[in-house]
Amino acid sequence: MMKSRPLLLAAVGLVLLGLFPVLVGNPYYIHLVETISIYAILLFGLDIVVGYTGQVSLGHAGLFGIGAYAAGVVITHFPDTPFVLVPVVAIAVTALFGAVLALPALRVTGPYLAMVTLAFGTIIQILINEMDFLTNGPMGITLTKPAILGHQLDVREFFWVVAFLLVAAMLVVHRILRSHLGRAFEALRGSPVASDCMGVSVYRYKVYAFVVSAGLAGLAGSLYSYSEEYISPNTYNFELTVLFLLAIIMGGRKTRSGALLGAAIIVMLPKLLDDIVLFRYVAVIFAALVLVGAAVFTAKGRSTWQRAAVPVVGSVGLAAVSFRLSNIGDWRLAIFGLITLLVVYYLQDGIVGFVRQTLGWRGHGSSDANDAATLPAPAAAVSTSVAVAATPATQDLVAADKVLMQFGGLKALNDVDLHVSRGTIHGLIGPNGSGKSTMMNVLTGIYVPTEGTITFKGQSIVGRTSSRIALAGIARTFQNVQLFGEMTALQNVLVGLHHTYRSNLLDVALHLPRYRREDRAATARAYALLKFVGLESLAGEEARNLPYGKQRLLEIARALALNPELLLLDEPAAGLTAPDIKELVVIVRKIREHGITLILIEHHMDVVMSVCDVVTVLDFGQKIAEGTPAAVQANPQVIKAYLGGELEAPAAH
Amino acid sequence: MQILTQLVFSGIALGMIYAVIAFGYQLTFATSDTLNFGQGEALMLGALVGLTLVGMGVNYWLMIPIVCVFGAIQGAVVERIGVRPALKIKSEFGWIMSTIALGIIFRNVAENVWGRDMRPFPSPLPDAPLHFLGANVRPMEILVAVGAVLMMAAVELFNRKTIWGKAVVATFNDREAARLMGINTSLVITFSYALSSISAALAGVLIAPLTLAGPNMAAQLGLKAFAVAIIGGLTSGMGIIVGGIILGVAEKLTGFYISTGYSDVPGLVLLLIVLAVRPAGLFGKTAIKKV
Repeated sequence: MMKSRPLLLAAVGLVLLGLFPVLVGNPYYIHLVETISIYAILLFGLDIVVGYTGQVSLGHAGLFGIGAYAAGVVITHFPDTPFVLVPVVAIAVTALFGAVLALPALRVTGPYLAMVTLAFGTIIQILINEMDFLTNGPMGITLTKPAILGHQLDVREFFWVVAFLLVAAMLVVHRILRSHLGRAFEALRGSPVASDCMGVSVYRYKVYAFVVSAGLAGLAGSLYSYSEEYISPNTYNFELTVLFLLAIIMGGRKTRSGALLGAAIIVMLPKLLDDIVLFRYVAVIFAALVLVGAAVFTAKGRSTWQRAAVPVVGSVGLAAVSFRLSNIGDWRLAIFGLITLLVVYYLQDGIVGFVRQTLGWRGHGSSDANDAATLPAPAAAVSTSVAVAATPATQDLVAADKVLMQFGGLKALNDVDLHVSRGTIHGLIGPNGSGKSTMMNVLTGIYVPTEGTITFKGQSIVGRTSSRIALAGIARTFQNVQLFGEMTALQNVLVGLHHTYRSNLLDVALHLPRYRREDRAATARAYALLKFVGLESLAGEEARNLPYGKQRLLEIARALALNPELLLLDEPAAGLTAPDIKELVVIVRKIREHGITLILIEHHMDVVMSVCDVVTVLDFGQKIAEGTPAAVQANPQVIKAYLGGELEAPAAH
Repeated sequence: MQILTQLVFSGIALGMIYAVIAFGYQLTFATSDTLNFGQGEALMLGALVGLTLVGMGVNYWLMIPIVCVFGAIQGAVVERIGVRPALKIKSEFGWIMSTIALGIIFRNVAENVWGRDMRPFPSPLPDAPLHFLGANVRPMEILVAVGAVLMMAAVELFNRKTIWGKAVVATFNDREAARLMGINTSLVITFSYALSSISAALAGVLIAPLTLAGPNMAAQLGLKAFAVAIIGGLTSGMGIIVGGIILGVAEKLTGFYISTGYSDVPGLVLLLIVLAVRPAGLFGKTAIKKV
């Protein structure tokens, strides 16, 4: 029942979009809505990079320009190319440039990436200007609306082409983003390290994100060139890029409706600024809205006067200024700048996010979690390690020999041997700074050891990437929790199940049976894993909202999703309450019963002593003792390391 | 040969300006891990304010301290409006977008106040070129290079010798620890922005006689100076001077031997390559990531 309402809304929207050019005959308005649609296609793509993977791209105007010029060049140099091929070529060319742009993006983030993408956009603009044998330089290219099968499209028919592609793009992007691919993008933003350790290669998915995003920009660009019937280099400038970003943050990240709204705003705003009288009205209404909003929020205690003062003063000031200026067009950019400032700080989730929050709507994350509960449970939540019976228990699952990890002059690990037998719980203890976490990072490929060998199931893993090691069967949790904060508990576990998907982009876009089958299976399995750690009631909750103890359990569930043979737990009991710790011990034992080998770093000695079969003690990067918990506990060197000084061991008395 | 020498000299002068702006990036990056994407606009405003002052009959040498004061205020405004709120909510996206937005606002305001045209800027030195190694060198080019080095040296000296400078260095090393030691770190950050804009504004006054002054004089300057900061490393003082000279000379050569339209390209390509290969820059240190 609940689902029929959005469907109905979508149907009404589609009909309105289709009928628009018939109902409104005026070509000016048709062109306006067409431009909004084209921008929206680009913004869907930009949102993948900005909203989902969390990278700042200032290069999308450049990509848009590449798409437009790819179409323009094909049309002028090969006039016989059928129309359907032109956007395809534009998408392919732009996607290729997107991959090039992704290369530096693999190495850098934040301000560096912003500058790189800005440089990319600037280079593209220069190249378009200078390569006049291809692009006709600053003169630009004039073209006409396309023909399909010999029939010349008129303004109205071309609008339908754009509208169709808008809907198709929206559907495809929506499906990609709600699939395992979308979760991989979002995981990159939440925690790159954790993504890699869940077998989701940060490198690969960043490139994917940029390529898909660029492809959409290419499609939008090619449509834009037909729509405008004229392209010139100066359209694709820095201001357009900033405008695109403004549209995303103002409309609302991570929603398709936000992208549509953002596109509408950035197309309409310049028109609004052309009409000073209209602008005055809008500015006054806007100021009144902000004033009322601020008053309501302050009264409800959700904001303070100090916080509300800036937007109020800003919007009232804007309204006042609008009455003093006679020509607002000259101040267009300053007004865009002001709006950007206001949005960045006071409307971080965009208009759509703000409305959702105010009305208490929840995203599909929580409804998905409800659906997951109704799926039939899988045969087993935690996969039993099949190799247990096949190999003798005495064989080492992990054999690290003479591992040296050097940071400058500091030897965080100095000649450490660590042998872990299959099916055991191996404790790793030592005072702070003794090298325990470094050992974990070396085992999971986050650090490459300076010297030494590490084999897992008889194969060397030194120099392999974290994601390959994870896929080989080593899962881990983190000392300082590394969950994907904006994703629900269920989605977090689903990221761990990423390796169970074989579906490609086509399967996802068309919802082919393979994808639907895999998705159902993974969702059911993820829910069962949450049940295993006792979190099924919180499946739809965002990870960042869970209490600390539950976050640690969620990390374990997510790690188990990898079907690991070896599970590394880095201080799982840190910060847990006594009852939580008891629950944890039960879970750790249950995991071992499934044949999974564990390495446990822990400071709670009672936990270590009660569950571990073997304990290794590190101190200042060196192994000082190894043996059964009781033997280690009695070892004088261990006591010295923990208590310091020349204390004699109690055993000596 | 003569042309080549001449190109190298004007390349060095241009490169020193890049170095000064890159130096401004380093100052703020050191204290707050942020930088002003509108640094080019700070330079442009400095030049235009200087031009107005000289037009009002203020003596050239008296104009310079006034421009410095203006730069300090402008930098502090950028920090207070654009950067501080973002630091509070730990939003990288926030300060990137808001410093870009402020840059756009400044440029648009300048267009409306001073008009879009490029205007000549009076030179304090004679225009007659000096002959040096067979090439004609304009005295202003020498002043630009010397002024840039002096400016950077002055700030370095300040950081090393005064208690205020030590606070800046401490904040750079460990913001949290510096705060606990009683240093008002947010004031230090504001101060670093002020200092950064002063150097940009001064650079504007220095370069304007060579390039003309106008709202769009700095369109690509901020970006290319970032390339210099990256080539040199965001933490290396020597690196930016070398980086600036490399870029300045490369641009002049490209502009002369290939086409002026392409003269912006080498810097941007260099930026892409350095970031793709060695993100810490040629002179910077790579940090170890901690998990």
